[in-house]
Amino acid sequence: MAGSALRRLMAEYKQLTLNPPEGIIAGPINEENFFEWEALITGPEGTCFEGGIFPAKLVFPPDYPLSPPKMQFICEMFHPNIYSDGRVCISILHAPGDDPMGYESSAERWSPVQSVEKILLSVVSMLAEPNDESGANVDAAKMWREDRDQFNKIAERLVRKTLGLPPP
Amino acid sequence: MPVTLVDRLPLPNLKVYTAGSVSLLSIAVYYALSVTSDPNWRTNVTLGRQDAMEQGNEERLLPAPALSGSRNASEQFVDVLTFMMQEPLCMWTLINIAYCSLAVFGFGVQRLVFGQLRVAEAQRVKDKFWNYVFYKFIFVFGVINVQYMDEVLLWCSWFTLVGFLHLLGQLCKDRYEYLSSSPNTGGWAHVRLACLLGGILAAATALLGAAAAWGLPAGRDTFAFMAAECILVLVAVLHVAARYVLQLYEADAAGPAAYYTHLVFDSVSLVVELLHVLHMVVYSNMLVSMASLVLLMQLRHLLHELQARVRRHRLYTELATHMSRNYPMASKEEVEKNQDNCAICWEPMKEARKLPCSHLFHNSCLCQWVQQDASCPTCRRALAAAGAARPHSDAAQRHPNHLFHFDGSRYVSWLPSFSVEVTRVRPEAALAGAQLDAAAAQLQLMFPQYSRAALATDLARTRSADLTLDNILEGRLPELADMVPPEPVIPSVAAPEPTPAPAAPAAAPAPGGVPAPGGVPAAVRVDVATATASSAGPFAAGSSSPPEPEAAPGVRFSGTAEEREALLARRKEALLSAARRRYLERLASLPPATSPAAPAPQAPPPC
Repeated sequence: MAGSALRRLMAEYKQLTLNPPEGIIAGPINEENFFEWEALITGPEGTCFEGGIFPAKLVFPPDYPLSPPKMQFICEMFHPNIYSDGRVCISILHAPGDDPMGYESSAERWSPVQSVEKILLSVVSMLAEPNDESGANVDAAKMWREDRDQFNKIAERLVRKTLGLPPP
Repeated sequence: MPVTLVDRLPLPNLKVYTAGSVSLLSIAVYYALSVTSDPNWRTNVTLGRQDAMEQGNEERLLPAPALSGSRNASEQFVDVLTFMMQEPLCMWTLINIAYCSLAVFGFGVQRLVFGQLRVAEAQRVKDKFWNYVFYKFIFVFGVINVQYMDEVLLWCSWFTLVGFLHLLGQLCKDRYEYLSSSPNTGGWAHVRLACLLGGILAAATALLGAAAAWGLPAGRDTFAFMAAECILVLVAVLHVAARYVLQLYEADAAGPAAYYTHLVFDSVSLVVELLHVLHMVVYSNMLVSMASLVLLMQLRHLLHELQARVRRHRLYTELATHMSRNYPMASKEEVEKNQDNCAICWEPMKEARKLPCSHLFHNSCLCQWVQQDASCPTCRRALAAAGAARPHSDAAQRHPNHLFHFDGSRYVSWLPSFSVEVTRVRPEAALAGAQLDAAAAQLQLMFPQYSRAALATDLARTRSADLTLDNILEGRLPELADMVPPEPVIPSVAAPEPTPAPAAPAAAPAPGGVPAPGGVPAAVRVDVATATASSAGPFAAGSSSPPEPEAAPGVRFSGTAEEREALLARRKEALLSAARRRYLERLASLPPATSPAAPAPQAPPPC
């Protein structure tokens, strides 16, 4: 089981290395454990997260790609679809069986044809366009709706933080 | 939990134990030598002991006068040995040294074959060890009900040998799973493991022979007890060997051959263990005792497992028939026409199964997916419900732990209360790594004064966030001096060699100390004009090296793991410093009012 997961992860790693999508880097930090990756995602241009480099951890199950990996940002995040501990709430990361929010159609959920690249691209578009209906972080969702300036300020601080710059 | 309790006992490590045992042995030998140096020592020892000696030693038949004059070394050795066998204290020393040498031997094998044990492996071996000790204790004192010390000793040494093989077998299994899930393991690791497997196999067969030789005369029951243990070891080891063979033949992990191999081994080991426990229950012949209670609980657990296995097998066969009936194998032309790889495993297809929506997949890949979700992975078209019931939920079934709780204070105030939890070694334990990391991260958020590593070590030991929390609160966990910054500001791990980071010079005019990885506040106050290599920060390393085109490190996929890791780290750093530069450029192009704190970045460096 783990053997086929490993082969597929290796293939994905190779593809992501040779043809990386713009502003995205992902791979196992330590190849002793090929089932734990780190990804860097660049905040999409024209959004409040522009310019930030957001690190995230991807943990793959032994039966990958039958089950989705888990993704968690390891930097501070403030976003309607990211839990305060950094876990990402997007539908393609949900296994076909479980539906924590109770509104997704199975078509949006995980399938083995998804890949790390697709997940990361989805996360980039999630950063650009939060879905304020699924409240992984209710405060962020509320602020996004009602006080966009404040939200942008927080995002700006986070961006500076990920770049290792002191807050303005 | 007995395991945590034992962990906290100040058990000596192997070195101290070995040194102690050897010195004890030398004291005993010295004592024996000094006693036997007297030629008439045999007459000095008591009559009863001489009787005992008569049984084991025909050397006594030698004429005594011959000894007195010129005893050669071998005779003296036999003398010393004889004496030590008689003298209880010396006898215990001998037994102790036997255990000690077994431990040293095991340690040697571990170093030779496995190297440093991984945390999960060590934990599993520890679990298995205490489980084993617990059940064998029940067996010896609850089932067999031995009366004499020498019987206890015999059983103990037997179980020591069998348990030793059990543990080695468990280690082999864990290590095999690890090796097969890691991309860069040398062939040697596999060769060493295979040799060890062969060794265990031989030893277990020898023990089975010993069981036949010594167990059979002692009665059929004894033989059955002894043989069952050996067979269990044999089956476990053969299972690992079979997996090797399957892997060697590149067998499809979900194909019928592999499936039935696993089925046979699983069911054989379950049935043997079940019969073994059943036999014990019947043999002990006392249904109302602590021992039979334990045995019955084990029996229940085994039956449960067997039932689950049978259910899984039924689902598998149902699914297989369903698939072959509804989704025909694609014809050769179809497979050839289809250029794509299997979308599930990304590997080329020689033969494939075709769904009604005309998407092709490997048979085994599809079979595994349909167990989870009855839809086409590519177009999500719903498939006719396959076998309705989902074996998935079956796999998620928890193996219950055995928990005995004795609340003595309910009866008499001074009686102690205790609970014994016997943890079955669960297959899920392998996943502990990721969960453990998450728990460590959470705990670290609460207690930033502890390093992540220290928390992870303690978590690995306690395997429960609550217990570690207790340890922290009660001050049992040593605070580490080197504090790790709680927030990994710079996510990249600096590459081991000096990084020729492709960043342009002066990537970071960052005022204030930026914590570099490793916790050293590197004073990264690099001025654009005076960029030197004096500071140790990762940016500084980049600032002193010549600029390179940005995309350079990404275009290669190296063959070795180290190089890949280094390249990845380098690419990350490049991305980060490029982003930092862009950000500051953008900031500079804005009116200065928006950035009061940051010193106005100088002219953007040429790129």
